[in-house]
Amino acid sequence: MMSSIKETFNQISPSEFFYSNRDLAGFSNPTRSLYTAVREFVENALDACDQKGILPDVHLTIKAVDPDKSDPKPYILTVKDNGPGIDAEHIPLAFGTVLYGSKFGLKQARGMFGLGATMAILYGQITTNKPVIVKSSSDGKIQNQFEILLDIQKNKPVIVKHTTKEISRKGLSVSICLEGDYSKAGNKIRDYVYETSLITPYASITFDDPKGQKFSHPRFVKDIPAPPTIIRPHPHGIDVERIRRMIVESQFEIPTIDDAMITKVRKDLALSKKNLSFTFIMDKAKKKWKNLPRQVRVVIALMSFLKMDFEKLNKIRIEDIDMPNKKLFYWDFGDSQSKSVEMDPESQYYKQLSNTVQGEPLTTFLTKRFQRVGPTTAIKFAEFAKLKPEKRMGTLTNQELVNLSDALQKFDDFMAPDSSCLAPLGAEPLEKGIKKFFNPDFTAVVQRPASAYSGFPFIIEMGIAYGGDIKSGGPHVYRYANRIPLLYDEGSDVVIKVVNETDWGRYKIKGEPPFIIVSHICSTRIPYKTAGKENVADRQEIERELRLALQFLSRKLASFMSKRGQAEMAKKRANMYAKYIPLIAEFCTELAGKKKEPNFQKILDAEKTSQPKLVQEENEIESK
Amino acid sequence: MKLKASKSKAIKERRKKSDDKQKNILEMLKSHGAKVYDDLNNGQFPKFSIPSRSVSNIVYDKKLRQYILGNNSALRSSKNSAQLRSFTQLMWLAFFANRLTHEKKSSTLRDVYYSSQAFAVEFDDQSESDNIIVDLEAITSKPREDFHIFPEERSSIFGDLNIEYTIPGYEGKTMNLSNHPDGYSIGPSLTTAELVNTSAEIVIAIEKGGLFTRFVEEQVDKKFKSIIINTGGQAPRSTRTLLKRLHEEMKLPVIVLTDGDVYGEHIAMVIKSGSANAAHLRELTVPDAKWVGVWATDIEKYKLPTIPMTESDIKRCYDLQKDPRYQDGIWKKELDVFLRLKRKAELEAFSKYGLTNITEKYLPQKLELAKSL
Repeated sequence: MMSSIKETFNQISPSEFFYSNRDLAGFSNPTRSLYTAVREFVENALDACDQKGILPDVHLTIKAVDPDKSDPKPYILTVKDNGPGIDAEHIPLAFGTVLYGSKFGLKQARGMFGLGATMAILYGQITTNKPVIVKSSSDGKIQNQFEILLDIQKNKPVIVKHTTKEISRKGLSVSICLEGDYSKAGNKIRDYVYETSLITPYASITFDDPKGQKFSHPRFVKDIPAPPTIIRPHPHGIDVERIRRMIVESQFEIPTIDDAMITKVRKDLALSKKNLSFTFIMDKAKKKWKNLPRQVRVVIALMSFLKMDFEKLNKIRIEDIDMPNKKLFYWDFGDSQSKSVEMDPESQYYKQLSNTVQGEPLTTFLTKRFQRVGPTTAIKFAEFAKLKPEKRMGTLTNQELVNLSDALQKFDDFMAPDSSCLAPLGAEPLEKGIKKFFNPDFTAVVQRPASAYSGFPFIIEMGIAYGGDIKSGGPHVYRYANRIPLLYDEGSDVVIKVVNETDWGRYKIKGEPPFIIVSHICSTRIPYKTAGKENVADRQEIERELRLALQFLSRKLASFMSKRGQAEMAKKRANMYAKYIPLIAEFCTELAGKKKEPNFQKILDAEKTSQPKLVQEENEIESK
Repeated sequence: MKLKASKSKAIKERRKKSDDKQKNILEMLKSHGAKVYDDLNNGQFPKFSIPSRSVSNIVYDKKLRQYILGNNSALRSSKNSAQLRSFTQLMWLAFFANRLTHEKKSSTLRDVYYSSQAFAVEFDDQSESDNIIVDLEAITSKPREDFHIFPEERSSIFGDLNIEYTIPGYEGKTMNLSNHPDGYSIGPSLTTAELVNTSAEIVIAIEKGGLFTRFVEEQVDKKFKSIIINTGGQAPRSTRTLLKRLHEEMKLPVIVLTDGDVYGEHIAMVIKSGSANAAHLRELTVPDAKWVGVWATDIEKYKLPTIPMTESDIKRCYDLQKDPRYQDGIWKKELDVFLRLKRKAELEAFSKYGLTNITEKYLPQKLELAKSL
């Protein structure tokens, strides 16, 4: 049942899906499509490298098929990386079917299901009728090169060409031909590459654009952030529906007792094929009990009440296990009628069945299914939720489920969510990136402690910078989610909302300030408003963390501004003294009828060394 | 011989007086300079205490019959970066006034504004330098004329008055102010001159240049033994100083003749008791000066042609009703009548009855009336 945590490949839905969802997936027009395709392939390349701890080298090339044609026109988009590559056997399915992905499970990644890349391939094929060209080497020796078309009706890959050749390095290169409009998309694509390199300072990214311009963003951080691990959900903020699903997962179905099952029981009990008596089977089971798998135990438990050997067992079907009335109902094929037997509640087998049917006790459920919950916390929580610790999850009424869900959200003693499934960039590389990109006079960064919304952990990283090379007219906001720059639809984004609601005057920031805010939301699931992944919904927990991060940084900026203001004031004052005091000295010397000027240098020197402070005499009115 | 001796003695006395006054001014400036000098030498930021000229600090003194400054004063410190510039400007002005006084040279407000540029002391505009001049007046309680700084606007004087100049190059030279029919402009040389003697028995201050010329033509000076002064609207401070000196030194009564409107009434009031703007100075008023016309009641009495008051005229009436000096006597009475009539009449209105009507009919009646005021 924990298999969802392993990387598995599954076919999910047919590719006609594309037509009904192209807008949603960001392929609404040639401009947007070119940009989205770039994103999907670059993000896949970075994700692949991240997961294997490889410092990414990503090369993006966009070339016009016919440079003299006017936009929109076909372009060849190629993204090459130095990642782990994909095994040859998986390539046709991975690039030739829709919703074939490896990115399930609870951990942070840029893309969610690997859907976007296939959508891009599909879009390319639809607009230009050219196959996708995939070159991959997962061993650094042999490179497999495929030309693949998608059979849209059957959602199946059609291999046009497959060749291999020797090569000296691992990596994947994907090339598609698609209808695009670079004259309109160019700005966004360049921004995308530029902003990606800010949030991925350990990656080296180059971009050769169709006009022959080269954009190179070498890595400036040598350490790759720790890769995320896959983890269980955190109890805070989880909803009733998710608990219900987890309970279903935790309950074991009553196995169908068929030939296959009986063969399995025989095998596990090391029994011969011949018919054996009921008591012999029970004795054997008792001895081997500890090593028996749960399914087998359940079958044995049922047999203990039915008092049947394998032969008889073959002729009935279990209908219901009524735990409250301690009755076991079954259908007898021979007599063609429903029968029942009493179950002895004192029997050890009764307990086994009860476990199976009613699910795990609350405390086990909590410690096993959630992160950060130990036995002590689980018992404390049960008390808080006014539920018995041994209460079976399967016996919870709807109302109890709702109460449990409420209590899970309100209980304060859970440890903060495990953020090991998250891969924030880290304060230090973020600061380094901001300094390199903007050469600012002031920089501050913060990484908030992990928090959770709806059971999904998230971390806010934020940086703020002022002055230097930054253009005026700020704050300029750079939004990131899981290391993806978000460039479209910023109007409705939660980060923009929080920034716009800030009263900058309070932080001594006025007019058209040269300042930037870099916001990075890391989560196992970013609550995007649309599948286009451009704006983050204003979930209250996320909004709160963003606000706290921004307030923290703004206070630092305010103190910088005020120090800078003081320093500027002190400098201005010193300049004023240097200008005016000698004049005063000159005038008063003649006025006083003296020959030699007074020694005013003392004042100037004293003022230079003294700390700037408010002059008390400012506009003072005294009454005589 | 005896006469000559007494005359030379009088001259000496006058010279001494004038010298003393100048010496006083120079001493005062020197003491201020010395204080600043010592502060700097002792490593301290020099500062001045300047009487506050804010509205809340201007009060009417019933005894002095003029506006004066209250007790509030503001500190101007060279340490305060917001005040350093104006402090330096003030110091420069004192320095400049000191030179002017030493060299007995005169200067105009505009001159001051430009002169500063030779010393790297900048003024944004003339109103800034004018303001600093008022600061200096407030600190020293002396009018700017004492520092040889004069306004541009000139009023004029005509009549049998002998004066003796004190300005360089003219020291001891005398002049009779009835020699030139256009009158003499009241500038620095006249303001600083000594008043020697006069045959006049009254001073007539008149608001308008046109009427001044008429009065000279009609020999009002001789007919009424008077000195005629054209104030040119609101009387400049040098003119008010001269009026005060004629009243105090020559013992001449002063009457004021203005247009028949609320502004005219106030011109007379300023001559009598000063203005709020000059509340820091006390040598500018003639408390015994009398306003003899044109009154609001005269408009009806003499059936003068009138023009309607403007809105700003009416507003001015209401403003003055709040002024403590307009709470009684003719000041209140006439103001009320102006408000009732909502009309005004100019001095020239008498021309309706002939050009000489004002000098032959109106003036004699008013002069007679003035005796009883």
